[in-house]
Amino acid sequence: MTITTRRAALATPAAMLFMPRVLRAQAQTEITVHYAQPFIYKEAYDAILAAFAKREPGIKVNYVTTPNYEEGAQLILRQAATNQLPDLSYQGFNRLRVFAERGIAQDLMPLVKAEAADPATIGYTSNLLALGHFGGFQSGLAFAASNPVTYYNADLVRRAGGDPDNFPTNWGDVLQLAGKIDRLGDGTEGMWFTWNGDDWMFSALLFGHGGRMLTEDERDVGFAGPDGLASLRLIDRMVKEGGMPNLSATAARQAFTAGKLGMIFQTTALVRGMKEGAGNNFALRTTGMPVIDLAKGRLPTGGAAGMLTAKDPARRDAAWKFLRFSTGPEGQALMVRNTGYLPCNQIAIDDPQYLGQFYRENPLFLAAVKQIPISIPWYAFPGTNSVRVTQTMVDNIARIVEGRATPEEVQRDMAAEVRRLLPRRS
Amino acid sequence: MSEATLALPAPRLSAGEALAGWMLTAPAALAFLLMLLAPTLATIALAFTDYELGAPALNWIGLENFAELLQDRGFAIALRNTILYVAIVAPTSVLGGLALAMLIEAGTRGRALFRAIFFLPVVSLPVAMAAAWQYLLHPTIGPLNAALRAVGVAGPNWLSSSDTVLISLAAIGVWENIGFNLVLFLAGLTAIPRELYAAAEVDGAARAWDRFRLVTWPLLGPTTLFVVTITMTRAVRVFDSVAVLTQGGPNKASEVLLYAMYEEGFTYFRLGYSAAITLVFLAIVLALVWLQTRVMERRIHYA
Repeated sequence: MTITTRRAALATPAAMLFMPRVLRAQAQTEITVHYAQPFIYKEAYDAILAAFAKREPGIKVNYVTTPNYEEGAQLILRQAATNQLPDLSYQGFNRLRVFAERGIAQDLMPLVKAEAADPATIGYTSNLLALGHFGGFQSGLAFAASNPVTYYNADLVRRAGGDPDNFPTNWGDVLQLAGKIDRLGDGTEGMWFTWNGDDWMFSALLFGHGGRMLTEDERDVGFAGPDGLASLRLIDRMVKEGGMPNLSATAARQAFTAGKLGMIFQTTALVRGMKEGAGNNFALRTTGMPVIDLAKGRLPTGGAAGMLTAKDPARRDAAWKFLRFSTGPEGQALMVRNTGYLPCNQIAIDDPQYLGQFYRENPLFLAAVKQIPISIPWYAFPGTNSVRVTQTMVDNIARIVEGRATPEEVQRDMAAEVRRLLPRRS
Repeated sequence: MSEATLALPAPRLSAGEALAGWMLTAPAALAFLLMLLAPTLATIALAFTDYELGAPALNWIGLENFAELLQDRGFAIALRNTILYVAIVAPTSVLGGLALAMLIEAGTRGRALFRAIFFLPVVSLPVAMAAAWQYLLHPTIGPLNAALRAVGVAGPNWLSSSDTVLISLAAIGVWENIGFNLVLFLAGLTAIPRELYAAAEVDGAARAWDRFRLVTWPLLGPTTLFVVTITMTRAVRVFDSVAVLTQGGPNKASEVLLYAMYEEGFTYFRLGYSAAITLVFLAIVLALVWLQTRVMERRIHYA
């Protein structure tokens, strides 16, 4: 973990060597900004900082990074306990609720409203605002978004008798094609769906049926009905009809980029990595997720949102300016070009001067853009067991993938176990 | 050394000498206090609270964490998996290390080379090596299953099937430990006086097995005991390979003690409960050390 707070930088002579400007006596505000996953985001944040520094020369920004979102959440929770919080932190959507419920994140709506009475006029449409709305208030502003897409190996699709230009759009046909690819032999596998890691991709199937994780009042599970069962049955069919092997996510990605896997369903955030991994091995294509319910079907949104934690008014003001810039059209255009995530500002999406050329040159990124209209927030469970619920679901789905339990049994156990983990309310 | 001999010269020490003594031990004592004793005591205290990372307050809940441990299916699986893992890794890598050490000791050429080769896993970075194992054991593109396919056997999904995941991790554990044990046994073997073998031969121990049974094995006693305990503690500590390769999955089939502790504390933020798991771990390690010293005192001697 790299921690470069202002205090640490002033205290350690070694750090001064790398940040001589800290010592320059100037009337300027200095803020600390935390973000996770520098291996994905570093170029984007550096580009945003360079552009921001030109616009606001009086604000000095120090970055603190953590290798992943999990450690990022730990860092903020630890620092909240010792009163050493950074001024602004970019956290995964599904972790935001923890901070909102523990009183660490601040309500951003007054600040947004102070700039524009109707947030949509500055690009914050209600859909985009909803991505960072947790704990009953605007606890974050979406910075980078992703949704699940289909990646496929056009060469294998063709060899199995499919048409890469007309990839099937419903699960029945997709599974049939995957089964054909699986039977090509020579160690070739049909398909892989990212069911492990977390509940995000399961929610893609559930939301695809129009289902919910919990009921509207969040008192009971929402996947105990027909939508949940249909989603679990789909996973069962992936194994039985699509020839889905039992792989870890890393192993599946390796198999796919090695040209041994027909299709893989995962976040669009990995487009860059998949493209580099595939190289010239095969023709990589992307398309939207197979449609389950055309009218009610939705998809979850992954990614990160910035949340404000500064208490000092001057620093709070400076941190807000940075957050506003990073989520504005200019900052978003820089973020998209440097990562492959989806923009979270409607102006950056609509106005071709920002990203029009980028999408013309990088068609692999387009599959996710087309799914923006049906994307809804990543569901985060309430209470202190929020993350544990996720693991409980993954553990249960593993039983289907390994063929040790029927979808019906898994639905029953999963519902019972998750119910026990929900907060008890009087 | 007994306490009496230590206590005897004490009255004659001048105050200045005592002070100098304290000053000289101060850095080590302070480091021990701050880096080891204080965190351990803090962990013990935390284990009796409901503290969660980021929570504004904590409550003293007595033995509730431990009561929960007894009913926690995840913890029971983690404990069972850890015991199984140790039961595979410890005997295999101890006997394997001994066998390799005897082979290298008996050989005339390439001793240094073989020693270096088998010791390499010990000095390599576990996380980086885990990535290499991930490739070797990859179900579709890995060399191991490719070789199996070549002879007509469908290889299992080593790390992603709950049937084979623990065995695969144990194999990696053996690979990590065997070189370390080998070096310890080599040191033990060189310490055995040559003339004892000659004497045994004169007394009629003509076969290699008899010489091993009558000379090598008894004289290696202290080394073996040390190797067994150190291997067991190292095996109980298994974490890196699980964290990198399987994250305890699928469906907790590779959940082990330290990974459960990490998950509770740093993924679910329940530091109090996590501290309780740490105490269980600490108890196991202390029991192993206690066992070693007891057996050492009692019966391992050059009889």
